[in-house]
Amino acid sequence: MARRDYAQDKDSVKAFLGEFCKVDPDNGKKNFVYASQLVKLAHREQTMLTIDLDDLQEFNESLTEAVKLNCRRYSTIFSDVIMEMLPSYKEREIRAKDVLDVYIEHRLLMEGRNRNQVEQRDERNRFPPELMKRFEISFKPLSTDKSFSIRDIKADNIGKLVTIRGIVTRATEVKPMMVVATYTCDRCGSETYQPVNGMTFIPIQDCPSDDCRVNKAAGRLYLQTRGSKFVKFQEIKIQEHSDQVPVGHIPRSLTIFCRGEITRQAQPGDHICVSGVFLPLMREGFKQMVSGLLSETFLDAYRILCINKTEDISEKDAELTPEELSELSQDDFYDRLATSLAPEIYGHMDVKKALLLLLVGGVDKRPDGMKIRGNINICLMGDPGVAKSQLLGYISRLALRSQYTTGRGSSGVGLTAAVMKDPLTGEMTLEGGALVLADQGICCIDEFDKMAEVDRISIHEVMEQQTISIAKAGIMTTLNARVSILAAANPAFGRYNPRRTIEQNIQLPAALLSRFDLLWLIQDKPDRDNDLRLAKHITFVHSHGKQPPTKVKSLDMSLMRRYIQLCKRKTPVIPTELTDYIVGAYVELRREARNNKDMTFTSARNLLGILRLSTALARLRLSDRVDKDDVAEALRLLEMSKDSLNQTHEHHTGHVPNTSDKIFALVRELAGADKMVRLIDVMERCTTKGFKPDQVDKCVETYEELNVWQVNQNRTKITFI
Amino acid sequence: MDNLKVLKIVDFVQNESQIVETLKDLENWKSIPLLDHSMLHSFQDNTLVRFRGMVQDMLDNETYLEKYKVNGEGGSSRVQDGKFRDIFVLGNKETVDHNDLENCFGERRSLFVISLPGLNDWAKTTQPISPPTQSASESSGQKRSAEDSESMEQDQEMEETQTPNKRIKGSIAVNEEAAPKGLSAEYHLNSPIPDRPSKACMVKVYSDLDSHTLNSVVDVIGFLSVDPAMDISTADVEMNEDIDGILAANPPPSLIPRIHAVAIRRLKHSNPLLDTSLHNFEEHPLSFDVVYKDLLIVLTQCLFGDTLAAEYLLAHLISTVYVRTELETLGQFTLNLCSIPQEVLPFFTKTLYEIIEMITPVSHYLPMTLENMNTLQFIPKKDYQTNKLVSGILQLAPHTHLVLDETAMKAGKLENNGVLGMQFMSHLIKTQQLKCDFQYYQLDFHSNLAILILSEGRSMLPNNSQVPIQPSDNDTVKLIEETLKSAKFYLRTKLNSIRRYLTLCKVQEFVMNDVEGKMIEDDFVEMRKANKNIGPEQLHNLLVLSRLLGIGVGQTALSKDSWLKAKDMERQREERLAKLPKRKV
Repeated sequence: MARRDYAQDKDSVKAFLGEFCKVDPDNGKKNFVYASQLVKLAHREQTMLTIDLDDLQEFNESLTEAVKLNCRRYSTIFSDVIMEMLPSYKEREIRAKDVLDVYIEHRLLMEGRNRNQVEQRDERNRFPPELMKRFEISFKPLSTDKSFSIRDIKADNIGKLVTIRGIVTRATEVKPMMVVATYTCDRCGSETYQPVNGMTFIPIQDCPSDDCRVNKAAGRLYLQTRGSKFVKFQEIKIQEHSDQVPVGHIPRSLTIFCRGEITRQAQPGDHICVSGVFLPLMREGFKQMVSGLLSETFLDAYRILCINKTEDISEKDAELTPEELSELSQDDFYDRLATSLAPEIYGHMDVKKALLLLLVGGVDKRPDGMKIRGNINICLMGDPGVAKSQLLGYISRLALRSQYTTGRGSSGVGLTAAVMKDPLTGEMTLEGGALVLADQGICCIDEFDKMAEVDRISIHEVMEQQTISIAKAGIMTTLNARVSILAAANPAFGRYNPRRTIEQNIQLPAALLSRFDLLWLIQDKPDRDNDLRLAKHITFVHSHGKQPPTKVKSLDMSLMRRYIQLCKRKTPVIPTELTDYIVGAYVELRREARNNKDMTFTSARNLLGILRLSTALARLRLSDRVDKDDVAEALRLLEMSKDSLNQTHEHHTGHVPNTSDKIFALVRELAGADKMVRLIDVMERCTTKGFKPDQVDKCVETYEELNVWQVNQNRTKITFI
Repeated sequence: MDNLKVLKIVDFVQNESQIVETLKDLENWKSIPLLDHSMLHSFQDNTLVRFRGMVQDMLDNETYLEKYKVNGEGGSSRVQDGKFRDIFVLGNKETVDHNDLENCFGERRSLFVISLPGLNDWAKTTQPISPPTQSASESSGQKRSAEDSESMEQDQEMEETQTPNKRIKGSIAVNEEAAPKGLSAEYHLNSPIPDRPSKACMVKVYSDLDSHTLNSVVDVIGFLSVDPAMDISTADVEMNEDIDGILAANPPPSLIPRIHAVAIRRLKHSNPLLDTSLHNFEEHPLSFDVVYKDLLIVLTQCLFGDTLAAEYLLAHLISTVYVRTELETLGQFTLNLCSIPQEVLPFFTKTLYEIIEMITPVSHYLPMTLENMNTLQFIPKKDYQTNKLVSGILQLAPHTHLVLDETAMKAGKLENNGVLGMQFMSHLIKTQQLKCDFQYYQLDFHSNLAILILSEGRSMLPNNSQVPIQPSDNDTVKLIEETLKSAKFYLRTKLNSIRRYLTLCKVQEFVMNDVEGKMIEDDFVEMRKANKNIGPEQLHNLLVLSRLLGIGVGQTALSKDSWLKAKDMERQREERLAKLPKRKV
């Protein structure tokens, strides 16, 4: 590669800082991003100047490349250029802010007074630029750059700008680090400056000024703390995220040096994204002796971002390749995604679909300060040994942010938050429980029914308001807990007793149960075909050591994760023309619940649930609008979940109306007093009730044969005879 | 290849590929002296040694000076190789030029390897010990003079000047007395089982840095590096906030020697009796049938004449994880022997373990007393002060037999640590995965332990199979003490074949073919019809059991017989379980 012309680069940097502007889309005015910041820098109103490489890229592409490859050097070039430019941006006199300002001002005056002697001054007695520099430069990496894992950083990244993701494990105190040491001579009184670049320096002893040298006065130098320049310095250690560690390996760690404004940005436990230059470090003195042949490496940080606070970081990695997208956009993607959830568990397609929606989540709404949650809560109930726990375990592993806990093992404190007393400082601190830790994620609670009464109450608030209020030890606060709750419960009497209501079966209060958008009863019924399939599956795993191939190829976890992440970015709206349809469906639900002495509850919460489910479905299609089909599918899932609870009832009371009978009853109802019904209406009503089109067709045919009704030639209308 | 023992680093670097090739021969491999069970002072610095153990911790990659320039007196200079060394090789008045452009950096990685935790005494003694004799160094001297190579002369000279006391014997004795600053020897050694401390080594790996996984068993050959110059515990240290971290990263070499790995072999099992002959059975003709019967008779006697329990115990002893998919782990056979008659405790559980100890290479007995539960460290935990993975008692090598004695537990308060311990054990039993605590998150590591739980009633830990012991008659209970004694005596004559048998069973390939698959499927459907409570778990167990029964008698594929036998055994077991008093819900 040809050597870059740094002088030319300097010019283009100058041009960039002075001329780069963004046009405001609203009023068409030009906004000089950096020039305006330079003014602030000049007036000491801002210390940090962040160069967005995206902007630089727009301005000069090759320069951006060069900056990325040799960041250290360009950092100095930028600061030199700014030093040159700053005086011209000064619009008014500034007031001295601290001792060093006064000091510099003073020395400048002195220098001005002895201008004629300047030529004679020794190089080292001149002010080093570092002393005058009161700003910091940092680079913001290109938004297209991906963040690395610590183990990807190798020797060939040395000197380059890299972005690394990790979790902070240790952070030292912030200490002052000397950048320029200032000395005065005890004989001649002249001042000497020594810029410090490394971690250590050897103090100068003898005065280098002409006075002392010529007179052989052997003046001793004394360090002036007030005249020296210090920057804040902090050393932090980061470690890989758990999802970046390959199986069977220990997470790697990396040392990061932070200076100036970058210090105190992260604390142990924070998930951060650091951009900086990867450099080797030569330790000196004791550490050098210890390390012997070894040399350490570190990252000189330019920018630290806490991921907890900004979500956009993880999305950058979530980009799907076109092939993956085309694979996902096939017709059966909904079924495929659902089957890919816990592929080793057979069947339960509707449950899996519901769980898929839980992962994606509905859209939050905040009309006029009121907050309506978008998170979907699901409760799985069922006989022991129907893979509830496996489903929970799978979901908690698939979800980016999740907590898995059991009702029995966790007290209310373990779920919500505890106030802890720090043994050293005696300060009270808040320690988040599982629900707080799972904020913006999923909290899986196994053995929900075994939870103590007191603890369950704390969940009420979480499930609807999505917050946790704490009033303990003088601390009164509200923490966010925007979680989806996935609970699993065992029936109280060992097996689900269909003759009793859900409250009796699960022994959970109605107030809590109604907060679940979907309640699902998974039953374990011996059934020859199912059992045979299960046995085949298990023997296959034992003999081949892998999962048997399925008809629909299941998607791997990371692809699922990224797709779900992609879905979450959409915020679909419900078009007004669908309102009537939804309202109608809800009224229908309520009426039915009244008539049938339903074992479940149908309340206004169900309506919200339907909206949540339909928005989640729209998200899953990556659409910005909720379709009628989405609502129909949401209604179907709701119906199926109710059915799973009610079907056992019918089974035991003896008379089981077959599907055709049920559909007939529906059609009857729909027709009301009229003798004619449109087949489209029938179809629509039936699909919302969970019937499939072919079942409807069959019903229509059967009753046509029985001469109960007639179907017109185009098969669009049914007329009762 | 006699000279392998006295090989110098310089010689090795010159013919690296050739020597590595030589080491591929197992005889040559075994000729390198093993460090595990000998005293460190019988070895010389910078000679080849062998170390066998489990990877307990893996440190970050480190950059080292692979080649560096040394400036001598009067402007002379030379380039020195830094590979396989910890310290600079410098003659008198020579200095390292850190800024030379020709200096080149390499990457290597430290593995913290400890000798197998819970390795039983018999397995230690049968390992061939061949400590190098004093004559080794003499012969090397002769050889060297014969070869008369200039560079080597130079090398030898320098080593002599650099380390005046090449016989580290003396220096070690001194070091051990002077307690290391700050951190205790136990902390450095980091044994999972503190009562049975293992030896530890820092193995520096130069190739395939990422191919090793935690808890795997390796056999390493490399250059020993125990130069006392590396010991910083005695050095004059200024106060430094990170002092613990530095001390932990640089433990005294007398305690934890460094080995610069030349070749690494991953071991499938840790039975020294089968070191060389695993792949050719013919050398050691072993009749599976006969040993199986012998062992079964002994175990039956040990378990109060209960053949069923003995069959289960035998199956348990040869069990191993054989399928690991993303979500499932199959093959583990955690056994709970319950209903142990109260009058034979605590003698019985201990003696039963002694018998297991006699026949398995690696095992550990953990009485689950309240004190143990509340105080023991169960899972490894990362200490960020020192950047070390502090081991826990569950961090054991694959194929370790862990015997949990629940009969030792008394009513009392299980504290936080104990409750967590129970959770970790349950997790380990259910998934054969060891949780490691990285403070900010926990990671799962694959594990492969055979866990036997002895209890009076039903065990509180999950298990694959619960077998209540049914003494054949009252006399067996009374006479159990004598029976166990004679069983031990009887075993002594057959020990080696039984030991070989158990290990061979574990590593045996076994075909679960589809031919019988249909029958199994039909049977399962029938069973489901008869009993609603039978689910996938039971089928898994049945398959594992029939596999183990098949392997036990030397079969290599699943047969109808073992399937039927497994079904029958499970049926008998269910009957016994039904008789047990019901647990209060």
